[in-house]
Parts: sequence; structure tokens; C-alpha cells
Amino acid sequence: MDVITVTDLAKTYRTPFRRRRVDALKGVSFSVARGEVFGFLGPNGAGKTTTIRCLMGLCGITGGKAEILGAPVPSRAARQRMGFLPEQPYFYDYLTVSELLDLGGRLAGMTAADRRARADQLIVRVGLDHARGLALKKFSKGMLQRAGLALALINDPELVVLDEPMSGLDPIGRKEVRDLILEERDAGKTVFFSSHILSDVESLCDRVAICVGGKIRDIGRPRDLVDATTTETEVRLALADDIDAEVVAALAARGARSRRTAGELLLTVAGGVDVDAVLAAAHAAGGKVIAVTPRHETLEDLFLRRVADQAGAREVLR
Amino acid sequence: MTASLFRIWAIALNTFREAARIKVLYAIVVVVVAVNLLAIALGEMSVSQHSRVARDFGIAGISLFGSLTAIFVGIVLLYGEIQKRTIYSIISKPLARWEFVVGKYLGMVLVLTALVGAFAIAMTAVLAYQGVAVSGAVAKALVLAWFEVLTVAAIAVFFSSFSSPFLSGTFALALWAIGRVTPDLRAAIASSESTWIKWVAKGALVIVPDLHVFSISGGDVDGQHVSVNGGFVDWGYVAAAAAHGALWIAALLVLACAIFRKRDFV
Repeated sequence: MDVITVTDLAKTYRTPFRRRRVDALKGVSFSVARGEVFGFLGPNGAGKTTTIRCLMGLCGITGGKAEILGAPVPSRAARQRMGFLPEQPYFYDYLTVSELLDLGGRLAGMTAADRRARADQLIVRVGLDHARGLALKKFSKGMLQRAGLALALINDPELVVLDEPMSGLDPIGRKEVRDLILEERDAGKTVFFSSHILSDVESLCDRVAICVGGKIRDIGRPRDLVDATTTETEVRLALADDIDAEVVAALAARGARSRRTAGELLLTVAGGVDVDAVLAAAHAAGGKVIAVTPRHETLEDLFLRRVADQAGAREVLR
Repeated sequence: MTASLFRIWAIALNTFREAARIKVLYAIVVVVVAVNLLAIALGEMSVSQHSRVARDFGIAGISLFGSLTAIFVGIVLLYGEIQKRTIYSIISKPLARWEFVVGKYLGMVLVLTALVGAFAIAMTAVLAYQGVAVSGAVAKALVLAWFEVLTVAAIAVFFSSFSSPFLSGTFALALWAIGRVTPDLRAAIASSESTWIKWVAKGALVIVPDLHVFSISGGDVDGQHVSVNGGFVDWGYVAAAAAHGALWIAALLVLACAIFRKRDFV
């Protein structure tokens, strides 16, 4: 069963004074299966946050429809079984993290005993045990993000929606969020998150959708979306200090690009070129092979191509 | 229904806690205490009119500062949620938007009741200093002032459900000012020869809550002069005025909830 189903979702805004029409979403469709970690990608202004806000009931839907856990969006039933972390979350800064979680638990209809037990467990889990008595206004950005994650999880939701959860975090904070997402997935929960950090998305997600210009451009498993054929191969060679410059030039000419550093030559050989022949030539010149690294298209390459396509289309329209 | 009340109460308590951090409110309490102390000073200057001055200043202070505070908290506490984006984490919980608006208003009621209570204690202390007991008339005037403050808060909540703090403040202040002069509007309808003045005055009487019913001391009610220092209205009048205020509060909150329900948080 799908946990999120979005069909032809459209959202149109009107600018405040001139009432100019802005089509933020132009028929977005996708579904998220139970137990999946689903990544939602797109450049700034692509419609990621608008989609999430529509799903959370923060924005009205102009066209199409969406369902969460079988309940129509927006509805209280849909929000009852999910948790949400907004982008750059803001909380009541006079509350402590325990009080914030107590408020979230109250709104989710939890009993006092359940609220206390769950809050205690989550505070430890997100690493805020040392800051229990501290007002949120004294929290760092990373601590606030962790408090927000705890708030999203207070009602032990079946679905967790995270809008840019790694945004602004240091590498340790990012790792903690990644671990938390994986823990939720291991517990059988569904995680839907948007991110700009493509390496995180690639390593965490079962499936991804790329949203550009208010439309979904690609959807599927990361490895299915990218081209698996080798696009180029990096060959790193160690060369003798007294090697003839002409030999080096001949070797460099075999690569599409080359870079000479102290005692080394880095060759980037285009896909389709015989790498073995390059290596043989290097041996013949007295060079030593340090590394041969084939390169494939990454999610980032695909993402950048989609963004470039969109920018190109805009240029043509102009 | 119980679950709904539980959620509303959670928002109300949080709103009260939020308001307790607003330093301006404490400054207002200090100003009202100062007004009451001024009443003592002015009372000393008048011959055998000590308690009259204290009562008039006290009730007027509660009405004026209470209403201004109601406009302030009505705007700050609702619009602040949108401006600071704290609303994203709250509205995404299983909470209906009307529950949020009603919870915010209920929290404001708690804050304003505490403030009016503090003002009333200050006035009672001044009267006690002058050896005057709190009369039934003063108690009735306090209840009326309290309902005026709660009605003004509902006006502010209504405007801040769709407009900016500046516009909300301007509109709420305008309605409060017009609502206080409803006898003058009626007089204008009766005496003015201009048709458009009559229509404007009639329109204002329909769309603006009649706040004059809460501040009647020194004026006439049903042709009788009433004063907190002498013959005042009975409890039946107070109940009718409270019902009038409650109806306006309900109507304004229903409108605010309907507008808030449609609002996009972007």
C-alpha cells in the first residue's frame, strides 16, 4: 500500500498587489510505498517545499489531489499518523525541549504518561539530554534541528516528512540525521525528505523524484535513473622526475584532459577510448600506474542536467 | 469533542505562557498602577471627592489600557505565529485551524483576565487606602470593562487573521473608537440632514460592535443618568451587555476561523 499518493497536484499563487499568477506546481504526481526512504530533489524554487506544504495542509491545493495513509489531504486524519520537520524550524523559544515535546504530544492527543515517556526517550535519542532544562532560544542551529526531529517523532508516526533536514548542519549533525532516518526505516517507518545534499540522498534513498519547474522530471531508484555506462576514466600515473617532456606530452594527448603535478600525471580518458592502450603507453614510457578509476553518471550529474535543460528551455522561450 | 477541547486548551496555555514573556504587558501594569496613584494625588486636591476620583480613574484606566492591551496582544500573539513561522510545526499536528484560532483567543482571555484582575486589585488598593469599600456599582463596572476588553481582543484577532499587524492595529483601533461613540452615531442619524451621513452612521452601527454599552458611567441608560459613584445599572443590564459582547466575540471568531482556514502559509 502506498503511504503517499499525489496525483496531478497543482498550486497557483497570486502575487499580493499585481495579482500576477505564479504556477508553483504544474501537475506533480508520485507515490511513496510503505517502508521506503524517498528523496525529493530539486533546485531552489522547483516546488519541493510547496509540495510538502500542500501535503502538510499548510497550503491549499489548487488542482489534483493527494492522500496520506489513505486519508485525503488536508485532513486531521492524515496528520494524525505522521510527523513533520519544516525547513529551518522555528519554535517557541521560551520553552525547553521537554515542554516543546509535551505540547506536540498534547496536540497529537497523547496521554500525560505517554508524552513523558516518549519525550524522555526521544531527548536521549536525538542527543539533547544535556540540554533538557535549557530554553530553546539558547540552542544552536543543529540543536534546534534535533529538537524539531524529536517533535516530528513525538507521536511515533508511520510517516515522517522532513523538509531539508540536513540544511545548515555540520558533518556530525548530518551523520546523526542520516542515522536517524535509517533507524526509522529499520523500524518499518516511511521517510519522505527533501534535500540539496545529493550524496546523502544517493546513499539513503530507496527511490528519488527530481522536481524542476513545478513538475516531476525523473522518478525511480537512484541507480536506475543514472546512466551506468562509464563516461570517463581517471588514470593516475607516477612519472620519473627526469622523464622527457615530449613523452609526457604524448601521454597527456591520450587523455581528454590532463593535469601534471610533482612526479604525477592525472589523465582523464573519455568513455569509449581504449584505457588498456593508455596504460600500455604509460608502461612503455616508464610510468607507474597508481590508480585507475572509472566514472559513471551520478545523481548529481543527472540533477544538474535536468536543471540545465530547464534553464535552456527558459532561454528558448525568451 | 473532548479531544478538541484538550487541543484548544493546550494552545491556550501555551499562548498564556508566551504572553507572560512580553515585557510590554508588565510596563502596562506599572502604568495602570501609576494612574491609580495619580488618582490618589488628584483626590487629595479635590474637596471630599477622593473616592469619586479614584473610582472614575480606576474604571477608565481599566477600560482604556485594557482595550489597548487587548488590541496589542490580539495582533502580536496571532500574527507572531505566522511571522516567526512557529505555526508550521503546530498546524502540521492533528489540529484543526479553528481550534488553533479559538485556542489563541482563549489564551488571550486568560492573559487579559489576569491583567484586568491586576488593574482591579490596584484600584481596590487605592480605594482601601482612602477607606472606601468596593461597591456593587464598581463590581458591575469592572465586569463590564472586562467584557469590553474581551470584545476588543476578538476584534483584533479577526483583523490579524488576514492582515498585517499595522493594518490590524489601525482597523481594530478605529473600530474601538467608533464602538465607543455609538450614542453620537445615533444622535447623528436623528439630527443630521445629510443623507450620506445618516447612511454611514447606520452602516457603522451595524458592522461595529457597540462598545459604549460597557462604559456607561457618567452617561444615560434608558433616559436615566448612571454613574459608578451613584445610581448605577442593575445586574440584569450587566448580563445583557455581557451577552451582547459574547455574541460579537462568537461572530468575530467564526469569521476569523473561516478566513484562517483558507489561508496559505508560505
